[in-house]
Amino acid sequence: MTDIDIRSLHPLEIKVLLHFSGASDITVQEMVERIGLKEGQGNQVVSWLAAKGIIEESARTARTLYELTELGRDFVTNGSPEERVLRTLETGGPAPLPALAQAAGLEMRDIGSAFGALSRVGAVRMDADKRAELVDADKASWVGLVRSILDRAASDGILPDESLSGDEREAIQAIAKKRGAGTVAFRIVERNDVVYRYTDTGRAALEKVADSGLTGDEIGSLTPAMLRDGSWKKGSFRSYNIDTPPARLIPGRRNPYAEYLESVKDTLVGLGFEEFDGPVVETEFWNSDALFMPQFHAARDIHDVYYVAEPTHAREIEQPYLDQVASVHEDGWNTGSRGWNYGFDRDFTRRLILRSQGTVLSAKQLPAARVPGRYFGIVRCFRYDQVDATHLSDFYQTEGIVLGEDVNLRTLLGMLKMFAEEVAGATEVKYVPGYFPFTEPSVEVHIKHPKLGWFELGGSGIFRPEVTVPLGIDVPVLAWGLGIDRMALMHLGLNDLRELFSNDLERVRLRRRK
Amino acid sequence: MPKIELYRSALDGYIGEHLANDVLEDQLSVAKAEVDEWEDEDGLLKIELNDTNRPDLWSTAGLGRQLRVYRGGDIPEYGFFSTDTETKDCGERIVQVDPGLKEIRPYIAAFVARGPAIDEATLNDIIQTQEKLCWNYGQKRRAVAMGIYRSDIMKFPVAYRAAEPDATSFVPLAEERSMSLRQMITDHPKGRDFGHIVADFPRMPYLEDAAQEALSFPPVINSARLGAVEVGDSTLFIELTGTDQHILHLACSIVACDLADAGFTIEPVRIEYPYDTPAGRTVVTPVYFQTPIDIDSAFASRWLGVSLTADDCVRLLGRMGCRASGTGSSVRVQPPPYRNDFLHPVDVAEDIMIGYGMNNFEPSMLQDFTVGRLTPVEVLSREVKTVLVGLGFQEMVFNYLGSRRDYLDRMQPVPTDESQASDGNMVRILNPMSENYEYVRPSVLPSLLSAEAVSAHAVYPHPVFEIGKVAVRDADSVSGTRTDDILGLVLSDVEATFNTIRDKVNTMLYFLNIDARYEAATDSRFIPGRCAHILVDGAVVGVMGELHPQVLENWGISMPTTAAELRVASLIPQKSSL
Repeated sequence: MTDIDIRSLHPLEIKVLLHFSGASDITVQEMVERIGLKEGQGNQVVSWLAAKGIIEESARTARTLYELTELGRDFVTNGSPEERVLRTLETGGPAPLPALAQAAGLEMRDIGSAFGALSRVGAVRMDADKRAELVDADKASWVGLVRSILDRAASDGILPDESLSGDEREAIQAIAKKRGAGTVAFRIVERNDVVYRYTDTGRAALEKVADSGLTGDEIGSLTPAMLRDGSWKKGSFRSYNIDTPPARLIPGRRNPYAEYLESVKDTLVGLGFEEFDGPVVETEFWNSDALFMPQFHAARDIHDVYYVAEPTHAREIEQPYLDQVASVHEDGWNTGSRGWNYGFDRDFTRRLILRSQGTVLSAKQLPAARVPGRYFGIVRCFRYDQVDATHLSDFYQTEGIVLGEDVNLRTLLGMLKMFAEEVAGATEVKYVPGYFPFTEPSVEVHIKHPKLGWFELGGSGIFRPEVTVPLGIDVPVLAWGLGIDRMALMHLGLNDLRELFSNDLERVRLRRRK
Repeated sequence: MPKIELYRSALDGYIGEHLANDVLEDQLSVAKAEVDEWEDEDGLLKIELNDTNRPDLWSTAGLGRQLRVYRGGDIPEYGFFSTDTETKDCGERIVQVDPGLKEIRPYIAAFVARGPAIDEATLNDIIQTQEKLCWNYGQKRRAVAMGIYRSDIMKFPVAYRAAEPDATSFVPLAEERSMSLRQMITDHPKGRDFGHIVADFPRMPYLEDAAQEALSFPPVINSARLGAVEVGDSTLFIELTGTDQHILHLACSIVACDLADAGFTIEPVRIEYPYDTPAGRTVVTPVYFQTPIDIDSAFASRWLGVSLTADDCVRLLGRMGCRASGTGSSVRVQPPPYRNDFLHPVDVAEDIMIGYGMNNFEPSMLQDFTVGRLTPVEVLSREVKTVLVGLGFQEMVFNYLGSRRDYLDRMQPVPTDESQASDGNMVRILNPMSENYEYVRPSVLPSLLSAEAVSAHAVYPHPVFEIGKVAVRDADSVSGTRTDDILGLVLSDVEATFNTIRDKVNTMLYFLNIDARYEAATDSRFIPGRCAHILVDGAVVGVMGELHPQVLENWGISMPTTAAELRVASLIPQKSSL
């Protein structure tokens, strides 16, 4: 036995429980009669109550009924074809079939079959002039039976089989069909009359409903009209079932990866950094030469950088930076360096490529940078890599610089610690000597992330004077880059970098932070 | 980054002690090295070296030497180096250079190593050092190529000749027949790998001994007789040829020091050039060519943020294997013969830093006050995104590289003749990894349509957008190209029409306080008569409309789709002049 929360019952269910004490049979027919439900409502409430285990089937009777069709309703008003033929001949006298059809308001094919049926029993006949004439209307006894059946069916539109006499049953079956009933007067309907009774659960619910004071007339939807006329004050509100499964809604939404990148930007802005940005097509000059990577450097091989097919070269490189960078490569210029000791190629330096590292924009920022100053960018970079779960041909790098009279290795470490804590939420930080062609010294920062454990958060260093002096900067510049993709993947519960750039709308719609 | 394989036991031998794994891992940071794979059952360890300017660390002997000295071992003395002032005796060990090599492959360095019978570990180590030096440091043999020979069966003087490639032949390694130099370039595996370095010259580098027996065809392949060193050989002739004399001399010194550490005696060789070289016409190798570098202890203190005296610097540099001396605040460093990475005093500062110990630096917080801010494009983009999300749009993030098919062909209602079609104004990559990533996108719409093409299973409508970059060719720009920040919108739905997208765009612009006008426009991507330009202050800032059904068919999209594209920069409010 289930305990029914009667507040969740529909008003129709309440009404049934209030009007059927359990002493008499519960049927849809009774509901129609006692509560004034429509038959459809009755069927619905019966199925709800049965599903909740309040009532159960106690008996079932199969019945046959005859339902008037559209054609049948026409017969009620105008008579069946046979009836019309007899009536027309009776009043109008003998007539040729076409004239008879017109007078009786029938099609030629209908008059043919009606006349045929009547003449077979001798009620009518064709005279010598090929005119139909009445012989004896009584010989077509079924015509009267059909009329009386039609009259009885007219009020409800339906006749139960048991209300018919044997003759009538014979007559109705000639004008009734189960399927394709459009051409006959009645549709044969097979129906089960089911009788229900209360279960134990039902009887318990019955008592509760009786004690509850519910009437089944409680207010369902609150309408503007009720609010305007105040009628809600006279009624009480039906309790809704709050356990129905909520529907899925599809809102407009930000992309969670973009939101993550924005959160990192916000953190960096909060730490006093100003954002920079730049074009995706760069020159060798800015991509590598300005960073003091010698033009014969192994990492500058064609297999690591994407070259632009057309145009191949920028028209020019801004002066005096070109001359100064060229000099620093050749002999160190005035930086105190001995340089790379080779002939700087001024054509190659104009070669157009796709930006391969975010540090490019750090270098480009230098000529315009303020001292003290802090700058950062989260920028798209391009690498000659086979695309897989851990490599993309284009991806974001997070890079930046700090300029100041008094920045040094210790402030570099302090800055890395700040990033580790503020950007990554790290609990422990470890510094390791690193190598980058453009910083000296170089430091890698490894962090212990609360969920990911130890990993390398980023690389950093103090820009070589060969990088800063040719670009007009004479104070130390801390340069740093953070690898935030691993944290982005963790943040979104993913393990494949390609998923960050997914074009599957359904997956993007469902994605959420973990 | 080079990776090397070495026997843990051999490394222990060079360090002079066995280090526990965690200690080794920690100490490797001194050499900017890390364990890539711990040793297998053969005791073979894989280590990754991060400093491309320290090729002396790319061998068991070199790495072991750095760790031994750092842990308190003596800085090794190598007595076989010639200097500006002292030239070592070479006996009859001479290499004579042909004048014809000046334009081809002008430099050579060499020495003889005499020692114990060579074992397999040492031989493998030498071969690995040769490969790493020549590949990573020697620009894939262009700048440095190295050969090892059986010195006891060859005769000095050696001739380094510019040989006629069809008339010169010998049996190369891994072959049984005699081949001409030109045949080796086309038919020998090493020739196919490295022959291109010299293939364009009428004459090619060739080494032979005094008995005119072939040593090798540098930088391609050794002779199968004199150039086939095996376990048990004890006297080796080693030569390096190349195009950069400094790089060559350093590589020679590194290999000589490694073999000296392995127990060999190094015997110098005299090189006789018929032309001038940076090191002169006669050079005895191995040669110490490095010049001292000075650093002021005050500069080191400023750079590192700690207070250091000249004596401190000298002591810390010693831990790194660098001899130095102090005068007042000035410190003069004599780089070890196997290093040439001190370009600037900051390079010395780094060695001082490592000698000091990374963990001994106390991090300190940045002191200067600076103002943080986002770019105007970022600020505006965030405003736009907020409005679009309110209008029901889903934000997407796409890659910027793609195919010609997606970026050009599919966006056109009329198929283009592939063979003749231009790239339009697209930025094409000369060396793409695959045709799927051959172009930078010229528009955001193909990215958004690529999403629609795979998302028919998602509940409609599909309002999506992205704010991202595109790049196109632009003759007016110095770089011949232009990168733009673009807002792209796509809306696929049974009932999507021109008005649908126009109303969304208009609502967005209203909340950005932008008065826009719309003008009928022609754009082949859209249905004629259902496309408009978006104008702000009389200038076209975007386009919108119903996408052409042929474009949709090209993408396999069977849902009416509308789209818009706007330049973000044109939506940024101008600062009012006060």
